Amino acid sequence: MAFLNIDSVKERTFDAIVIGSGISGGWAAKELTEGGLRTLVLERGRDVKHITDYPTTMMQPWEFPHGGQLSKEYLDANPIASRCYANREDASHFFVKDAEHPYVQEKPFDWIRGYHVGGKSLMWARGTQRWSQYDFDGPARDGFAVEWPIGYKDIAPWYSHVEKFAGISGNKDGLPQLPDGEFLPPHEQSCVEKHFTEQMAKHYNGTRPIIIGRCAHLTKPQPIHYQQGRAQCQNRSLCQRGCPYGGYFSSNSSTLPWAAKTGKMTLRPDSVVHSIIYDEKKGKASGVRVIDAHTKAVTEYYAKIIFVNAACLNSNLILLNSTSNRFPNGLGNDNGLLGKYVAFHNFRTTISAEYEGFLDTTTEGIRPNSSYIPRFRNVFKQETDFLRGYAAGFGSSRMTSADTSGIGEDLKASLMQPKYGNWRVGSHMMGETIPKEKQLHCFGPESDRSVGHSTATYFGWIRRQRREDDPGFS
Amino acid sequence: MQRRSVLKNLAIGVGGLISLPAWASNWTPDSIGNVSIVSFNEEALLGELVETFIPQTDTPGAKSLGVHQFVLRIIRDCYGQSALTTLQQGLGLTDATAQQTYSKGFMECDAAQRKDVLTKLSASTDPVGKPFVDMVKGLTIRGYTNSEFYLVNVQKYVMAPGYYHGCVPVQKIAVNGTR
Repeated sequence: MAFLNIDSVKERTFDAIVIGSGISGGWAAKELTEGGLRTLVLERGRDVKHITDYPTTMMQPWEFPHGGQLSKEYLDANPIASRCYANREDASHFFVKDAEHPYVQEKPFDWIRGYHVGGKSLMWARGTQRWSQYDFDGPARDGFAVEWPIGYKDIAPWYSHVEKFAGISGNKDGLPQLPDGEFLPPHEQSCVEKHFTEQMAKHYNGTRPIIIGRCAHLTKPQPIHYQQGRAQCQNRSLCQRGCPYGGYFSSNSSTLPWAAKTGKMTLRPDSVVHSIIYDEKKGKASGVRVIDAHTKAVTEYYAKIIFVNAACLNSNLILLNSTSNRFPNGLGNDNGLLGKYVAFHNFRTTISAEYEGFLDTTTEGIRPNSSYIPRFRNVFKQETDFLRGYAAGFGSSRMTSADTSGIGEDLKASLMQPKYGNWRVGSHMMGETIPKEKQLHCFGPESDRSVGHSTATYFGWIRRQRREDDPGFS
Repeated sequence: MQRRSVLKNLAIGVGGLISLPAWASNWTPDSIGNVSIVSFNEEALLGELVETFIPQTDTPGAKSLGVHQFVLRIIRDCYGQSALTTLQQGLGLTDATAQQTYSKGFMECDAAQRKDVLTKLSASTDPVGKPFVDMVKGLTIRGYTNSEFYLVNVQKYVMAPGYYHGCVPVQKIAVNGTR
């Protein structure tokens, strides 16, 4: 009997455990298995296999019953999940429904999640800009938040390592505030975007450059990408469905199959990590407690190395759940900071306009990317009354439309001859927010061990940052 | 050598696609079937309504593309109860208006008479008239312009163009027929 137990423990012992299979978990799995370590990858949700589990990926627009629109029933039941722009009829099966993992909002907070193998690497927006030393310098300069213990020169080689494998398209722009990387050929700017870029350069003496976004698309695959089983991006821009070509980077198309190929990875979907086991004698984390998402059975797994890659909030939740005599308030939480100082992305401001020029031109094909306005505020010195800065996407396109005032043959004739309108341009900002203690996510006791119910409280917002774009905002 | 590995990878891709789950490949407009929120007669009436908005000429009209099915699907699944009520009352009002004006049902009217009935409905003092016409017309246009016929032949939709050019002359687009 004792013998059997020893065998069972042995079977559940690995060199390393990775909690989560999203972008960072996939990378941990790849690096660890490549290094020869037997690695257990735990994913709380269902398995999503590359290609075979992308049910909508080859569907034509007219094959969707509601032309892409989500049903009223879905919208009523999922006010949070449906706020993500990518959650439409073709991809809603990848978004966690509000009732699957509810939480209390004292202030609005959209917690968009993908509980499945690959996580949000399937539905992400694929923008991959490097940080510069100026971004690392922020806390030291303005005194808010903790100074970074590392700088750009420490991270630059890792950026290169990741970019080469993932495949990043971009232009070498030579900007100190947005360092160049290991780029595949860039996408093209439209004539209107080029014009805007030139006008901005004139207007602001080159202080507000606009570039083509750097993004995780294989514009010209290299041998390393073919070895992953990926092929060139086909410019479908249907990425949120999962890409059958592996044209953009996801854990499913890239790091996880790579890790699997080593023979060192054990991937275990439907495995919700409850907590990390702390060995009081050794003074070390020694394993994890896993709840089976279906049977609710608890199993322990052991390893010397444990990577927590469960995204921001669930990583905090796991550590807070990991109580022991030594750490009564959660693993590594002697300072009581777990669940606090959570910072957010401010991306609430968008703007759009028409441009009356370039009427004899348009675009051709599809671009899964846009132009990009790197951060220009408070980069080299503090110059405004708000902290840090914001970047923005900038895109343009020329749509056709038709006069729909008539009925019958008049209406049809008009629809059959759509006319080009003006160019339309649009921009959305992405602002850095300062983590404050008040931005507290306090997690309540779990009423159901399989799904942590959490109370999300979110105070404060960097209002001034938004006000700069929107004078009407106060 | 590199070309060979591209082909190999594409082959892997195609192989994977064949094994899509059954529900995915079965999920097409044809398989969704009839949408029973209105009676069979009302559905037929709606078919003639969408056909009046966008009739068959040398190219398909809205009815043969099943646009009335799309209209019903959106109203049933994406709109609220009040839209459904507007639809049901509006269909009744359509027939009543046809009876009043031409002493026969909408189905029995010819194309010109049907157009006239819809124009009258739009200007009707009945509170349902204009909202009904606007809703059905809007959804007819949306359904028609989202159809395979329209996207392929008029918009020249290509799912995977494989390229993007940021600045091309409009004339070239017209000739090549690619957006």
